[in-house]
Amino acid sequence: MAGPTPPGDDGRRAPPPDATPARPFGAPRAAAVPRMETVRVTAPDLQRRAALEKSRGRLLLTAIGFMVLFGAVAIKLADATLIAPVRPKEPVVARIEALATKPAPPLVTMLPYHRASIEDRNGQPLAISLDTAEVYADPREMMDTNDAARKLKSVLPQVNEPELAHKLSTAKDFVYVARRITPREEAAVNALGIPGIYFQPSERRFYPLGRMAAQVLGGVDVDEHGVAGIEKYFDKRLMDNPAPLRLSLDVRVQAIVHDELQAAMDEFKAIGAAGIVMDVNTGELLAVVSLPDYDANDFGNAPADARFNRAATGLYEPGSTFKLQTAAMALDCGAVHIWNMFDAAEPIHFGRFTITDFEGKHRWLYLPEVLAYSSNLGAAHIADIVGAARQRAWLARMGMFQRVGVELPEAARPLFQPASRWSRLTTMTVGFGQGISITPLHLVRATAVVANGGIMIRPTLLAREPEGAPDPTSPVLTPVAAGFAPDADMPPEPKMKPPVVLDQPLMKPGTSAIIRKLMRLVVTAGYGKSAAVPGYYVGGKTGTSEKVSPHGGYEKHANVSAFVSVFPMNHPRYAVYMMLDDPKGNASTGFFSTAGMVAAPAAGRVIARIAPLLGLFPDIADKATIDASLAMPLQPAVPPGMHAALNGPVTTAETGAHGREHERRRARAAADAAGAHTRLALAGARAR
Amino acid sequence: MAASRTDTSLLGRWWWSVDRLTLIAIAGLIGFGYVMMLAASPSVAARIGEAQDLFLFKQVAFLAAGFVVVVGVSMLSPRNVRRAAVLGCMIALGLTAMTLLIGTEIKGARRWISLPGFAIQPSEFLKPSFAVVAAWLIAESKRRRHFPGTLIACALFAIILVLLNAQPDIGMLTVVSAVFLTQLFVGGLNLGWIGAGLVGMVLGGFGLYAWDAHVRTRVLRFLHPTADNSYQIDKALQAFGNGGLFGRGPGEGQVKDMLPDAHADFVFAVAGEEFGFLVCLAVISVFCFIVVRALMRLLREHDMFIILAVSGLVTSFGLQAFVNMASALHLIPTKGMTLPFISYGGSSVLAMALEMGFVLALTRARTHGSPT
Repeated sequence: MAGPTPPGDDGRRAPPPDATPARPFGAPRAAAVPRMETVRVTAPDLQRRAALEKSRGRLLLTAIGFMVLFGAVAIKLADATLIAPVRPKEPVVARIEALATKPAPPLVTMLPYHRASIEDRNGQPLAISLDTAEVYADPREMMDTNDAARKLKSVLPQVNEPELAHKLSTAKDFVYVARRITPREEAAVNALGIPGIYFQPSERRFYPLGRMAAQVLGGVDVDEHGVAGIEKYFDKRLMDNPAPLRLSLDVRVQAIVHDELQAAMDEFKAIGAAGIVMDVNTGELLAVVSLPDYDANDFGNAPADARFNRAATGLYEPGSTFKLQTAAMALDCGAVHIWNMFDAAEPIHFGRFTITDFEGKHRWLYLPEVLAYSSNLGAAHIADIVGAARQRAWLARMGMFQRVGVELPEAARPLFQPASRWSRLTTMTVGFGQGISITPLHLVRATAVVANGGIMIRPTLLAREPEGAPDPTSPVLTPVAAGFAPDADMPPEPKMKPPVVLDQPLMKPGTSAIIRKLMRLVVTAGYGKSAAVPGYYVGGKTGTSEKVSPHGGYEKHANVSAFVSVFPMNHPRYAVYMMLDDPKGNASTGFFSTAGMVAAPAAGRVIARIAPLLGLFPDIADKATIDASLAMPLQPAVPPGMHAALNGPVTTAETGAHGREHERRRARAAADAAGAHTRLALAGARAR
Repeated sequence: MAASRTDTSLLGRWWWSVDRLTLIAIAGLIGFGYVMMLAASPSVAARIGEAQDLFLFKQVAFLAAGFVVVVGVSMLSPRNVRRAAVLGCMIALGLTAMTLLIGTEIKGARRWISLPGFAIQPSEFLKPSFAVVAAWLIAESKRRRHFPGTLIACALFAIILVLLNAQPDIGMLTVVSAVFLTQLFVGGLNLGWIGAGLVGMVLGGFGLYAWDAHVRTRVLRFLHPTADNSYQIDKALQAFGNGGLFGRGPGEGQVKDMLPDAHADFVFAVAGEEFGFLVCLAVISVFCFIVVRALMRLLREHDMFIILAVSGLVTSFGLQAFVNMASALHLIPTKGMTLPFISYGGSSVLAMALEMGFVLALTRARTHGSPT
């Protein structure tokens, strides 16, 4: 009926009564049709018309009814979409929207509430937090809990289906389905379309380089809180400040040290090893390696031995590497001169103890010879001359009685005799590195200080800000405050003043220059020859000490062999420390496991590989000049009018007492020489 | 259409006499149904457990067949409509009875008969044919003095009531009752009787509420939407809220994936999320237009059979659209009912096509007095 108006009712309506019959134009009158006719309407017809009228009225009502109904739907639609829309609460939607509306920033900073990432000095990520989700269920919204458990199992293999089904059928309103699922798994679970399944954003700590610096980085617990290493020490900083935490470590250097250390450890079948590379001027640690190690992503399952950080937590007697300190303190206080000679011919007998040299020269040695041949007797005599008071003061200044201050909660506190029990024998044995246990970091720091001109530094794992200003985002306020503040869990020692990081050198510049020459001498003429790298003027000191037995005393056939070095000696830049725990000699070393045989070559290889990376190039052209500037004769000329022989503390206040004791000792030594030598554990170190 | 008004071929006469605006509106609904099927199909295909391609193909085929049925049935003369409806009513009644014996039980109700490839729901077809048959019986009882048409219609209605109650299909029962009551109302039945019918429906509703746990929970959920078990309606309202004025865009719906019945009972919510208020308002307007236009055209109609048949058919159509949309919008308690041409489902599409084909056939322009 979309066409023109249909004939409709017009045809049925009666014409007006006064109408005249209509006829076509020109037609005869007879042809006219009458304008009025009588129509008979029957009773049923009238009834039908009345019924139709009634129906029309009701049709109209029906139409109005439908308009009301649809109008209500339209109003409700406006209410649901425009006036009071219910926003979906699913985090999925919110996150999709967030990602869609924001420009994509770099991966690490994209997620605002993440634990901050940790990166090396060059920006290489070491620890990052990845987006994951927790899946939980509200069983009350579920239609079929068994079916839901079965579907979830199909996309989440870690789910225990019977257990989950049981939980879903009994629990009230909250059931964990799985934690820390990947975005891919989250999408798969979402695609199942199970009602009552929800997601909670979470994150997982990921260590992209696996074993790299695992003990330094430490780990986090299931709630992303640090439980070890940097993660624990900087826990608050990492949670509060989303900016990446930049460490001083250089993954390239770290990898090389790891590589060489592992090779040496395998070659000599050592049970453990530690390696450190440090900037001697800033204290920044470029590499801290401890072996055995583990994959940082598997922190929870790593054995305790692998989690143990030998470089920061391991306490070892430093052995002969400590003779550099003895020489430095003696020279700096003027107690000895470089041209003095010390008695290395006779063993020192002290009470029940006898001090000897391993492969001794059995003659008086000049100071440079004491270092080059690593004479225990010479070092003991020198320490004796310095005396306990000055020795302890020096060691305290060098930070040997405090934690090293590195940003690791595991950093260990040294073991040493208290002042009341620091006997003359202690002074002598500490002179060649026995009777005190320190961490490798302590030794590296002290060696760096005597080589760098006496500038105190604090080993740090944080990259130095370019301006040198402390990082305002870091909880570390100042090096002094953070590094040497008394430990909260241990009472501070009253007599020991914390060493202060000074701008002024801790020693005379001349002393440092002599120590540099002595360190160089060890590599050119002493036991450290295998660490030599042409053009890099390596200097160092070997140290082989017997391990302290867990039962007291020393283990006769277990050594800790270490080599501490600094290069280039003409302008010190980096310290390299390599230590092997219980190495076994093999045919290539003549079955020796001493530091010069096992640790020094590894240190040399490390230096040869890392120096170019660190922007240092071998200086061959100036070799003659540099060699001359670092030259140190093994037997320096004695100035006219001076006596080289110096075995007693002629310049100290305790001359008299010391002289008498010296006589007594000589007498006892003669008596012991007749009987059997009993080299007792405490003083029986072979040191080279 | 190139057909001239003087074209007297079957197609030409059909084109010029059919209600072309309503035809266009129906075609629009079918087209929108196709779009909504694309939106709902990925998750629904997975849920139903069919390959998505097959799923799409089947629904496309049903929608196309639906349009052919609309056009084909609209070419019938009123007399043939009546014959077809009587035949259809008998077949559908028989099949509906058979569902009780050989029906496939889905979600606790036996409404479907499985055929190879798909299942049909005979009661869907019973609804339009019964509307036409009832209209004929009532109109005939008015034309012939001693013909007890209304009584026969009531008896038929009672049989259908029993069958639908046995399935059970309370939604269909409600629609058929409302349609029959509307026909009696338009047919001029005493308002007292109409009131009695309404009271009967209300009482029936209370009876269901009292005896049927399923109905009771639905009503309770509607009355207390903050209670726990209103997952679907929560999600549906979130979908509308997420859509806003213009919607998220085709295929961009996110809440729809969490709507268990996104393809059928809650397809309107999916439309709300993806296309927004304006498009949904247009859909409501199209349904309203079809119903109201048909009813208004009846005002010029003289044939009581046509008046009753068409008013019954469009009541069924409009009521079903209303119940679906109002359920999704939480205007009334949720009642599983398809949105004509837009919800997924073969039976629904074909039955609706039959219904609208009947409407178009009966409202074609005719010279008065032509036999019905």
